[in-house]
Amino acid sequence: MSDFRASQNKAHPNKTSTIMTGIILLLILFVSMQIWFLFGALNNALEENLYFALTTFIGSLLLALASFWLLRYLPDPIRTVWKK
Amino acid sequence: MEQKNPEKIPNWKSDFPISTEKATHISRREFAKFLGLLSGVLALSNGAIVIKALAFPSKPLEGDHFVCNEDEVPVGKMIQFEIQGDMVIPYILIHLQENEWRAFEQKCTHLACAVRYREEEQKIECPCHNGWFSADTGEVLQGPPPRPLPQLEVVRKEGKVYVRQAEEPYAT
Ligand code: FES
Repeated sequence: MSDFRASQNKAHPNKTSTIMTGIILLLILFVSMQIWFLFGALNNALEENLYFALTTFIGSLLLALASFWLLRYLPDPIRTVWKK
Repeated sequence: MEQKNPEKIPNWKSDFPISTEKATHISRREFAKFLGLLSGVLALSNGAIVIKALAFPSKPLEGDHFVCNEDEVPVGKMIQFEIQGDMVIPYILIHLQENEWRAFEQKCTHLACAVRYREEEQKIECPCHNGWFSADTGEVLQGPPPRPLPQLEVVRKEGKVYVRQAEEPYAT
């Protein structure tokens, strides 16, 4: 017997793939923004611009939290046995 | 040899017992988790910059530092010297004109190449990427450097040259 989830997965085999791609793209976006922040902070730290370093740190932290939170939505690993 | 026996599982299959679909799925999950981890690391390093700026602010140079005797550097020439602090910082001392001295950090503000004074141009050159600084103020005249050269104040006492922290960091 198959339950609703199994039927869904069978009927839309590309769905998890799309979700995964979306999540990965978002993560890449977040990480790129963080790299950009870090680059700016490093450059500005040389000029002793504490305010800039602090702002980018908070931004980076929020992005990291968003990344962790996104990981919750990763599709589960595919299970071989659908039958009960 | 093994192919002839249909009962036996081929080596490659026992080495990689996961179906292709599952393999790509899993490695993409791993990749996404790795990106999450990377994101955390980047946030931490950004935090490290803040901590460094808060806890270990760079100390201004204290007191006067002897560099050389006035007659050691003719007009239009420069010498290099170093100041020992928590870090060794290389500087250049330029004898611009009679009674005109300048001291700048020797590291280019672009990618830290050694800058030098060009007498014929009366400017400071960074040969690495053709950056030019004013020998008078340290300001960027041309090229990629994003900031002026950090400057020290030059004091002369009894024929000897000393440097000290300038009142403003980039005094002109
Ligand atoms: S290092 Fe001086 S111009 Fe690039």
